[in-house]
Amino acid sequence: MIRTENLTKVYNGKPAVDGLDLEVGEGEIFGFLGPNGAGKSTTILMLTGMIEPTGGRCFVDGIEVADDPLSVKKIIGYLPEDVGFYGNMTGEQNLDYFARFYGMDAKERKERIAELLELVHLDGVAQKAGEYSRGMKQRLGLAQALINDPKVLFLDEPTANLDPEGVREYRELVMHLAGEGKTIFVSSHILSEVREVCRTVGLLAKGKLAAQGTLEEVARALAPADGDAVRIVVETREHLPAIEDPAIIDIERNGNRAVVRAKDDIRDRLAASLFEQGLHVREMRLEEPEIEDVFMAAYRR
Amino acid sequence: MALDRLFNVARKEFSDHITSRRFIIILGLLLVISTISIYDGIENYNNSLEAYTEQLRYMEEFDDPYTSWMPQKPSIMYVFISMMSYMTMLGGILAIAIGFDLVSKEKETRSLKSLLSHPVYRDEIINGKALGGIGALGFAMALALAIAIAMLLIFSIVPTAEEFAAILVFGAVSLGFLLAYFAVALTMSTAAKESGNALIYTLVIFFAVSSLLPMFGAMAADAFAGDPPEAPEIPPMPTPVGRSVTATASGGSFVSTSSQEVVYGGTQDPAWREYEEEMQTYIEKRRLISDISNLLSPQMNYYTVAIAVTNPQLSSMIASPYDTATEEPAGLAGALGKVWMNIAALIVFPSAFFAATYVKFMRMDIR
Repeated sequence: MIRTENLTKVYNGKPAVDGLDLEVGEGEIFGFLGPNGAGKSTTILMLTGMIEPTGGRCFVDGIEVADDPLSVKKIIGYLPEDVGFYGNMTGEQNLDYFARFYGMDAKERKERIAELLELVHLDGVAQKAGEYSRGMKQRLGLAQALINDPKVLFLDEPTANLDPEGVREYRELVMHLAGEGKTIFVSSHILSEVREVCRTVGLLAKGKLAAQGTLEEVARALAPADGDAVRIVVETREHLPAIEDPAIIDIERNGNRAVVRAKDDIRDRLAASLFEQGLHVREMRLEEPEIEDVFMAAYRR
Repeated sequence: MALDRLFNVARKEFSDHITSRRFIIILGLLLVISTISIYDGIENYNNSLEAYTEQLRYMEEFDDPYTSWMPQKPSIMYVFISMMSYMTMLGGILAIAIGFDLVSKEKETRSLKSLLSHPVYRDEIINGKALGGIGALGFAMALALAIAIAMLLIFSIVPTAEEFAAILVFGAVSLGFLLAYFAVALTMSTAAKESGNALIYTLVIFFAVSSLLPMFGAMAADAFAGDPPEAPEIPPMPTPVGRSVTATASGGSFVSTSSQEVVYGGTQDPAWREYEEEMQTYIEKRRLISDISNLLSPQMNYYTVAIAVTNPQLSSMIASPYDTATEEPAGLAGALGKVWMNIAALIVFPSAFFAATYVKFMRMDIR
C-alpha cells in the first residue's frame, strides 16, 4: 500500500531523508520509529504529497505521489504533529471547510461530520477551535484526518498531546480503524506507544532506515553483534560456587546470582552441575536484550 | 486549478474577513467618515450650484448671455473629491489589515499544514485567498459608494448617466488603490514567518511609497533638472498664455495648485523668448522625472486618476499645462486617456506583488 524507492529529501545540502526504501502492506498498522530529527515527519510530508522529494519516488496505493498528489490526498488522511485549525471557526465549521474539498454534498458532509465529532467525543462542543485545549485539537485533528474515510491514515506523533484517557481512546480507535482494513502509518519517537498498536515497525535514524519488520525482528536485527554467545542468568538459594564448563566465556558474579556468557545454551549442564553440588536453583533463564535498550542503542549509533 | 476548490477557499476567506472584528471596526470608521465627508461635499456642491444659478440669472438680467464667459455647472463628482484623502489613509489601512496575516497566521497556527493535507493545490489556496480579500475590499467599496449615492438621492441630487458612470469608475479606481496595499500586505504575509513582522514590513512599504517616494522624486527632479533659468533683467509686458501646474502629495492629502505666472508670451524681446523656452524645457524635465518616480507610488497614481474622474478639467490642466489650444471641457474618457500611464501603474503595482506572492507561496517550506 505504501512504498518508497530510494526516497531522498535534502535541505540546504543536508539530507533529511537519505535513500529510504520502505514497504508497508495493506491493512498493516506500521510504526515509524526514530528520534526527533530523524526525518520521520519529512518522510510523511513526501508520502502525503505536501513536499516533493529531492530524489527517489514514493507510492501510495500504486499512485506515484509526486506525479499525482491530489489523487493521493483523496485516499489518505493525515494528522500532522501539532495539528492546527482556524481559531475563529468551530470544530464543525473547520471540518465542513475541509470536507468541501472532497466534493461531498451538504447532507453527506453533515452526516459525516456528526459521526466523526461523536467518534472523537467533540459532539456538542460549541467552542471555537481557537479555544480548544491541545488534547481537543488533537482529537479534532483525528476527525479531520478521517473526513474522507481514507484508505491510508498517516498519524504523526498522534498521542503527543493526549491525556492517559485520550491515549487509551486513541488506541481503541486505531485498532477499530485497522479492523476496517485501513492501512495506518504511525510516526512516533515513543517506542512504548508504537508497541501498543503497531504490528510492524521501521526504525529511522539520521534519515536512513536502520531496520524494518516486526518488533522482535527489528530488535534482533539491531541487537549488538555478540557472536553466537548467549547470556544465562542464574540465581541459587545458597552462595554460588565456581562454575566450570568449556563453553563458558565469562561470568559476572554477584553473591548468589550470576550472568553467564557462554558459546551456546548450556542451561541443562549448568542445572545438573548445581544439583550435584546440592544447590537449590531459584532462577535460570536466557537473557534477551530489552527492546528499549536495543532501540536506544540504535538511536545513539 | 479547479474552480470549486478555488471558490471554497475564497468563500471561507471572504466570510472570515467580513465577520472579523478588525474589518468591521475599520470599515465602520471608513463608512462614518465617508458619510460625513459626502455630506460636506453635498453642501459644497449645493453652494456651488446656487452660485452658478445666481451667475446665470445675473447674466440673463444684464442681457449678456454666454457671449464672453460661460460659468461652468458644478459636477456632482466634486462630492467624491473629499473621499480621496481618507480613502488613501483609512482605505489603505483596511487593505493592510485584511492582508498582513492572511498567510502568516496560517503558518503560526499550523492550519496551513492541515489545509494542504486535503486535495487542494497551493495555487488554488493563494488565489482563493487573494480572491476573498478582493471580494471583501470590493464589498467595502461598494458599501461606501452605495451610501454616497443614497445620500445624493436623499438630498435630491440625481446623477446623470455619465455621472453615474464616473462614480462607478471612481469606485473601480479606489478599489485598484486598495488592492495595491492588499497585494503588498499579502506578499509580506507570505514572506514573513510571523504576522507582526509582516505588518511592520507592509507599513514600511506603505510609508515608503506614499511619502518617501514622492519626496525622493521631487529631490531627484531638482537634482537632474539643475537650476531654473535666470530671467532677463528687463521686465516684459506680461501676457499669460500658459499654466504651470504642480502637484504634490504629503501625509495623505493631495494639494494641487494651478498658476499662470511662469510662462509669458507675446513679448517681442528675444531674451524673454529664449527664457520662456528654457523655462518650459526646465519645467517639463522636472515634471518628467517626478512623474516617473510617482508612477511607483499607488497614492500618486490614485490621486492622478481620481482627479481625472472627479474633476476632468483640473486633470487636463495638470496633464498639459502649456496646452491652451483646447478650450472645450474635457470629458471623462478624454481625461482618463491622459492618465493612462497612472491607470496602467495602478494595475501593474498590485499585479507585481500578487505575482511575487504566488511564487513565494508555491515554494514555501511548510515543515
